[in-house]
Amino acid sequence: MTLIMVVEDDHDLAEVLGIVLNNAGYEVDLVNRGDEALEVFRSQNPDLILMDVMLPGVDGVELVRQIRQESMVPIIMTTARGETSDKLAGLEAGADDYLVKSQYQEPELLARIKVQLRRRPTPTAEPLKIGSILIDQVAHTINRDGKVIPLTRLEFDLLVALAKDPGRVFTREALLSEVWGYQHAADTRLVNVHIQRLRAKIEYDPENPDLIVTVRGVGYKAGQS
Amino acid sequence: MFTVARWRQSLAWRVTGSIVLLSIMIISLIGTALNSRLTDGIFKEKLNTSLADARDTTQSVDIQLTIAQYQSAAVTKKMVSDIFQVPPTVGDQSGREVALFPIQTAGSSEPNYRGISNLLSPASIPTSFRAKVRTSKVQLWQRTNLDYLNGRHIPGIVVGNIVRIPTVGNYEFYVLFSLSEQRQTFALISQTLWVAGAALIFMVGLISLLVIRQITSPIRDAAQIAERLSAGDLDQRMQVLGENEISRLGIAFNEMAVALKQQISRLENLSRLQQRFVSDVSHELRTPLTTLRMAAQVIYSSRTKFEPAVARSAELLFAQIERFEALLSDLLEVSRFDAEAAVLELEEIDLTALVNRTVDYVNPSQERIITIHAPTEPVFVAADSRRIERVLRNLITNAIDHREDKGIDIYIAENEESAAVAVRDYGVGFTPRDAQRLFERFWRADPSRARVRGGTGLGLSIAMEDAKLHQGRLEAWGSLGRGSQFVLTLPKRAGIDISTPPIDVIPTDESRPII
Repeated sequence: MTLIMVVEDDHDLAEVLGIVLNNAGYEVDLVNRGDEALEVFRSQNPDLILMDVMLPGVDGVELVRQIRQESMVPIIMTTARGETSDKLAGLEAGADDYLVKSQYQEPELLARIKVQLRRRPTPTAEPLKIGSILIDQVAHTINRDGKVIPLTRLEFDLLVALAKDPGRVFTREALLSEVWGYQHAADTRLVNVHIQRLRAKIEYDPENPDLIVTVRGVGYKAGQS
Repeated sequence: MFTVARWRQSLAWRVTGSIVLLSIMIISLIGTALNSRLTDGIFKEKLNTSLADARDTTQSVDIQLTIAQYQSAAVTKKMVSDIFQVPPTVGDQSGREVALFPIQTAGSSEPNYRGISNLLSPASIPTSFRAKVRTSKVQLWQRTNLDYLNGRHIPGIVVGNIVRIPTVGNYEFYVLFSLSEQRQTFALISQTLWVAGAALIFMVGLISLLVIRQITSPIRDAAQIAERLSAGDLDQRMQVLGENEISRLGIAFNEMAVALKQQISRLENLSRLQQRFVSDVSHELRTPLTTLRMAAQVIYSSRTKFEPAVARSAELLFAQIERFEALLSDLLEVSRFDAEAAVLELEEIDLTALVNRTVDYVNPSQERIITIHAPTEPVFVAADSRRIERVLRNLITNAIDHREDKGIDIYIAENEESAAVAVRDYGVGFTPRDAQRLFERFWRADPSRARVRGGTGLGLSIAMEDAKLHQGRLEAWGSLGRGSQFVLTLPKRAGIDISTPPIDVIPTDESRPII
């Protein structure tokens, strides 16, 4: 059974989220305070975290940062305000996706969760290569110079998407649909933030990336090396 | 050009210019008067001495000639030639020449004496003057030029007399005086006057410029400070020195600046409060509304298990919460515009791709009711894709709602400075008077119809605000029963003024008047 941890300070909203997720077949842990969330996370080890940005105790952005230090679990942030600064703060701290509460409709929410939880089927055991990075699609790990680099599931999917089709230039919209599962236009900065995070982890020099190359005005592609 | 501009722009230069101009007029008047008084005086002096001198000379010639007629021929000749032995006029020195002409009288047999001193041309004595002298009983004078046969010309005076020698006859006797020395004096006087006048005018100009600068430089400073103040630097203050009119201006100006700053910071405060309020309301309303919606959704998804009345109520509940939600987010968006808290996030986007995407989203069905007419090349503009997509979605949804089962055309075009999207439908349309009110908040062309179709009534006014935020335009054309066209024009880069939009708001198929 898949376990989702919901961190939401509004009891009623948390409860209704619990009902919706239960109906969709997920097991749910409800947490109402930011400072309690880390403890619950450690003991329950959920498969996905859905959390509000504004939380009593420990703020959502800080909570993401703390969780990221010990886990690559998928995190979806929810914000009531939908202000750009809120979104970016959460994403930069390490969240994989965000939802503005006005988008909180059952199908949308469940679609987001599903994308974050999916494990790509691995028809080929062939490891992919991008520069000196070895991507093991079976073990879901990546290697650089013999060392394993920990990636979130989303970062892994993003890297695989680029590496599977070397030379192809992906627009941000294409990546949003391929990796995040968005069916219509969303904020393309979601892509920018994750590309930057991925670069920080895998590039030798994140300032001058050569594994994930920006194609000005279009998007990104895997580097030729 | 430069001087004209300077004259126009600088009060100091203008006033100085006027003062100098007036000084030139006054000084030249005074100078001219002074000059003529002086030269007149000098000339009269010279004339008087010349007339006395001529009288003496004439008398002595009279005596000599009278004596000469009783002498031997040789002596007579010597005496007559002595008359003309006048020291030549050297250089410009004041000199004197004499001339003697006999007046032909019947019966005189004696040799007529005639002569002229020092190569002087007889033309120096005008014939008209000679005629006057011949008939005159008194001494006469006139200005003339002393013309010499060697080509010299000297201004001078000629004085004429009749010398009557009994039994011999009458002679015209002329004494000519050079005025060259006076000429030099005149020249010196006028030169001095010119120099003095020019110096005076220069000094007057300089002094007035300096004096006026004292007044205008504080004014200029004040103007500069006012400019900086109006440019937004509210901490600019004028320097206040002393207690004169300028410092009073400074004090009043500074008081105004302080009041302005207070007022602005008060308004800024209000705007900040408003923004915070908007954001708080947003958060406070959103959470319960989200709960409400999710709960309604749970009820809605199991509506088949309810009896018909409850099931229908679940549907209505769900639909109205949706509508409430849409209204809330539109209201929040509007208040963000009102608080000027809306931020533009520009990026280079392909307008054609954005239109395609929006059409796919708004009208995903297979039925092809929308035709997109776009150039083959991508049309790039610097725009906020979220906002532009919202505008497009609004325009296309409106077109679908009002198309009356007819097709919809979307045109994309660009020129050097801007790119445009036109959404054209051939449905109900609207009157030209409605075209002006379309963008007003909560305005509906036909209240009864709009209720059925839904929508918040804020879509077009938000679209207009979004277009304005891009410094673009959103224009509408409509004709009852012939449909409508909405044109969104965006500058290609921030700060470009749109002079000619790539697509005119009046559709090309409607531009000809209907006969």
